[in-house]
Amino acid sequence: MSSVELYSPTDLADALRFIEHKGEEVAVIASGTDLIPRMRKRQVSPSVLLDISSFQSDLRYVRQSDGGVSLGALTTLTDVLESSLFNGKLSVIHEAAEIFGAPQVRNVATVGGNVCSAASSEDLIPVLMALGARLKVISSGGERTVPIKDFVVGKRETALKPSEILAEVRFDYPKGKYWTGFEKLGRRNMLIISLVSMAMRLTLEDDLSTVRSASIALNRVSGRVPALASKTEEFLVGSKLSEKTIVEAQKVLATELALTSDFRSSAAYRMEIAQVYLKRLLLRCSERIRRETE
Amino acid sequence: MSEQVSQLLDSLREKAAKGELLYIGENIARVDSLEKVLGKPVYTADLIPKGTLYAKLFHSSVPHGTIRAMELGAAKAYPGVLGVLTWRDIPGLNQSSAVLPDRQLFAEPVVRSTADILGAVVAETLPAATEAASRVRVEYTPIPANYDPMEALRPDAYKIHPKGNIARQMKIRKGNVEDGFAKSDVIIEKTYKTQFQDATPLEPEVGLAIPEDGGVKVIGSMQSPHHTQAAVAKVIGLPPEKVHVIQAITGGAFGPKSDETPFDVCSTAALAAMKYRRPVFCGLDREDSMVMHTKRHPFVISHKTGVTSDGMLVADESMIVGDTGAYASLGVFVIVRATFHTVGAYEVPNVKADSYLVYTNNTYTGSLRGFGGPQALFAIESQMEELARKLGMDPLEFRLRNMLVPGKKNATSAVMDASCGLPECVEKVVASSNYWEKAARYRDQTGSVRRGLGIALLMHGNSLGPEGNDYGAVHMEIESDGTVSVGTGLTEYGTGAISGLMQVASSILGVPLTRFKLERPDTTKHRESGPTVASRVVVIGGNAAMKAAEKLKGTLMPLAAQMLKASPGDVALVDGVAFDRQNPSATLAWNDLVAEAYRRGLNLKEEGFYMAPAAPWDTESGQGTPYVQYTWGALIAEVEVDTETGYYKVVGVHTAYDVGKAVNPAGVLGQIYGGTVQGLGYAMMEELIHKDGFVVNPNLGDYYIPTSMDIPAEFKAFIVEVPGPLGPFGAKIIAEPPIVLPGPAIRNAVLNATGVSVDELPVTSEKVLMGSKARPSPLAV
Amino acid sequence: MTRRVISLNVNGAERSVQVGPLERLIDVLRDELWLKSVKEGCSTGDCGICAVMVDGKLVNSCLMLAAQCDGRRVLTLEGLQNDLTMKRLQGSFIANNAAQCGFCTPAMLMASWDLARHSSKPSTEEVKVAMSGILCRCTGYYQIIDSVKQGCREERR
Repeated sequence: MSSVELYSPTDLADALRFIEHKGEEVAVIASGTDLIPRMRKRQVSPSVLLDISSFQSDLRYVRQSDGGVSLGALTTLTDVLESSLFNGKLSVIHEAAEIFGAPQVRNVATVGGNVCSAASSEDLIPVLMALGARLKVISSGGERTVPIKDFVVGKRETALKPSEILAEVRFDYPKGKYWTGFEKLGRRNMLIISLVSMAMRLTLEDDLSTVRSASIALNRVSGRVPALASKTEEFLVGSKLSEKTIVEAQKVLATELALTSDFRSSAAYRMEIAQVYLKRLLLRCSERIRRETE
Repeated sequence: MSEQVSQLLDSLREKAAKGELLYIGENIARVDSLEKVLGKPVYTADLIPKGTLYAKLFHSSVPHGTIRAMELGAAKAYPGVLGVLTWRDIPGLNQSSAVLPDRQLFAEPVVRSTADILGAVVAETLPAATEAASRVRVEYTPIPANYDPMEALRPDAYKIHPKGNIARQMKIRKGNVEDGFAKSDVIIEKTYKTQFQDATPLEPEVGLAIPEDGGVKVIGSMQSPHHTQAAVAKVIGLPPEKVHVIQAITGGAFGPKSDETPFDVCSTAALAAMKYRRPVFCGLDREDSMVMHTKRHPFVISHKTGVTSDGMLVADESMIVGDTGAYASLGVFVIVRATFHTVGAYEVPNVKADSYLVYTNNTYTGSLRGFGGPQALFAIESQMEELARKLGMDPLEFRLRNMLVPGKKNATSAVMDASCGLPECVEKVVASSNYWEKAARYRDQTGSVRRGLGIALLMHGNSLGPEGNDYGAVHMEIESDGTVSVGTGLTEYGTGAISGLMQVASSILGVPLTRFKLERPDTTKHRESGPTVASRVVVIGGNAAMKAAEKLKGTLMPLAAQMLKASPGDVALVDGVAFDRQNPSATLAWNDLVAEAYRRGLNLKEEGFYMAPAAPWDTESGQGTPYVQYTWGALIAEVEVDTETGYYKVVGVHTAYDVGKAVNPAGVLGQIYGGTVQGLGYAMMEELIHKDGFVVNPNLGDYYIPTSMDIPAEFKAFIVEVPGPLGPFGAKIIAEPPIVLPGPAIRNAVLNATGVSVDELPVTSEKVLMGSKARPSPLAV
Repeated sequence: MTRRVISLNVNGAERSVQVGPLERLIDVLRDELWLKSVKEGCSTGDCGICAVMVDGKLVNSCLMLAAQCDGRRVLTLEGLQNDLTMKRLQGSFIANNAAQCGFCTPAMLMASWDLARHSSKPSTEEVKVAMSGILCRCTGYYQIIDSVKQGCREERR
């Protein structure tokens, strides 16, 4: 961690020009809550840090528009908690943000930073996956949009090119009768690196008992990537969430995904928990949908 | 006489009636609170002058091997580096060990753990020293390593030290266990395991050395300034008088700061200071600290216990194995305490115990609050629960039948006397927790969320006991402005005990604590008082403080009598006012009394010295009185378990401790709350993990200590006071005991809620769901 | 490594300091500006002992690069010595035995002060959340919670 340079660009265009050619050696830093500890532990050794923390007006916002919500990449977790846009049906984000880190960490940790870290332990990524988020990525050459499930490709690996910066996370309001939820297990109640967490968006048909669609995402998936349980999602479509169906869905989950083992807990335990969360989230979301309509 | 004056005199008379107990039992603010809430720069790292050099320790990258070559060129060449210290730079003895001489400062040629220190880079800045240290290259020839103490015990195991892998053995032979088992109706044999716990003081270990008078001044974060002085002197090859050690305000300790790590950082800083003739700071960051300082010994404890069908304990045979890692450190005494406490707070007529302190190539273990007690009581209290279940008896009922009360004998055949306050402790927690009603209710639960109660009882032998001479000295001087200056080699590091010691002195003297001042422990000024461990400050140091205060009072009271024209027996000194009980309107202010004493050239400098009575015991049988006094306690924990996930919360803690006499109740409660929460961490979430000799989680993101969100919503603590024979006013120790009971109480509560016996700490949600043997498969690091 | 000059407002005073790229806010506060109330407990942002206010928000100063603080307002315990709310909290900490080894005390006071500004009668739960990112090993938190509740209560007249 010796001869590192820090470049503070004058504006966003300057930042993008900087990484247009130098991209490979550069690490983008916003809050530093993920990057700095990793640099200290020598897990990464970039030669240049690109400081984007000053682009508050460009990249820090929570906006409602065009039937959805856009979050600037520099939106902090506290911003998310203080926004009234995520109450009720969209509380999945609040539920994740509330037990994220600690107050001091929430005050600076950014949505963009979390998405780009692509860590296996990430809680925010499953939430955004459950909401079907799309990411706006910018470079000197323009911009492109990547669905989040295609953005996170491996353990701490994203589809971000060296010449690109993540600018915005956007998701559309789900259509129809839906609810969202989040569950997380750690070894203590705050400042937790999760053992496993699951986020869900469930949509029912107008009969309020048949599943129209579900988005189910969890972290700690083997291959170390937060991921969607797509087979489980498919299985649930058209089902009525009876006790039998849920048990079947749990089995599908166990066969479609393997979770990771590490010194914190075993894959077997994590899957047990994931299965319990699947049941609880399905029941809770469907119950809330019914209650809301009454 | 005015109304006001009359009221004041009445109040003085009332207070005078309390005698020596004037300020005992009062929640007087600690002497060191103000500077802490003001954030004053009083810790070692706050005292670094400009121009100080930084020494960064580097340690072994293999768990067991011989050093073949050490390449220091790249480190030495790094900009800002003055040099690299290794064993070759030690003018004195290359030794840094607390008890047995089995450990070097800079390991050479054999390294026995990844915590072994190899040397230190000295540079102008910390970043330079750190970067340079990462460029040291060492080649090792590997030696077979052993991480399992049970394996290391085998006669054919590779010897980690020349004399073999058993650093200490101990026995208890009371009665005849074979006869006992023959008389038993029910026998249970079970094995329990505990984990490595990290002390995690928020301030890691640090030392600052400044060349002084042909020697060195050392300021550091430590529990034992005189031991540090001796250790540093040995390394730099100078007489101890040339090493002037001052304990700075210390940000937490809990044990490791009384073991080798302060010696390591202070000796290294001193070596560099002597070599470069400049101040040198040697500090450990959190990761270094968690790798290098001593941890709590993991234990494997097997019990075979026999009871009669009406629930009376008859015999207990235990095998107790403690993993001391690569070096013995204070393990030689931890194993002793654990053995003496093998059957906890119960009377068992026949006891056989064999204990072994075993070397492995894990990082070394030593002192940590409780010192063998938490491990021993986890085992026996879990065993008691299993026995009760097998007998079909309520666990509290079973304990009541067997617990130590006055007249009964403990494992060493010491007879408990009237100072045994255990029954009162039990009474308090049973009432507070509504035990009987809830226990009955919880026997018939449905649904996936279950509640359960768990109990554990404490016997905790006081102070050093069998570990050696138990003495302390307190120096007290009254300055010309009336300030009472107190100095001692005993140290404060958060417990509040030194303030408690001073509160005792203030009570004897009759002068408010606000007039007192604490000197920093300083080897040039204060007599060696042993290590500040075993919670001994109030009990041992308090007695010494009493003596010093009594001597001063003996000088001042006759003078006061003269000045008040009263007969000596009638003079009282209260709240800094001396008055004649027969004629209370005649008063004399403390400042005036002191001024007059100075005018007359009276001696106002005294030292009190106290040595506790010997604690004799037979080494063959473990019988005798290794402890002169015991602290007693009880804890009932209530948990709520989500049986689908194994996740559980401790919803209530009800706990009581017989502390003999609570000098400062708020201070006692502070120790109870703090120790219990640290014990809760040990019970539920703390585990320092080794894989192939490497510490896997040496940081606070992966090693979990309780946060404010983890503490039980309901916490009821009770102070019981049954005076003991040892401490001032009958005081017993309190700093360590509260960490002991949460482990077994929570484990038992979970068992009662779910039927799952978790026999290995910590009781994680994974073990609750998947069974006791559930172990995560370690990540390939 | 290229050093640069940054300007920041610390405890009400404009300060200019020269910093290296990897120097952290805690290094500037402790080593350049001699504000020793800011402590370093873990260096990885997990203990909160280094918490200070930056632009009105509580942050871990061990994770913030000094260079990123150019133009910002920083507040440490030293800057609140004359603040009435802080004095009430400090008095309450003393009265309730909330400072044992004292190492977490400055950070606990900063978090409590931040809470007191927003809430004049915080519940036990609110106090616990406010200090949930600051580790204490000595007190078990209970006496700190009592201190904060009492210290905030006296706020209301």
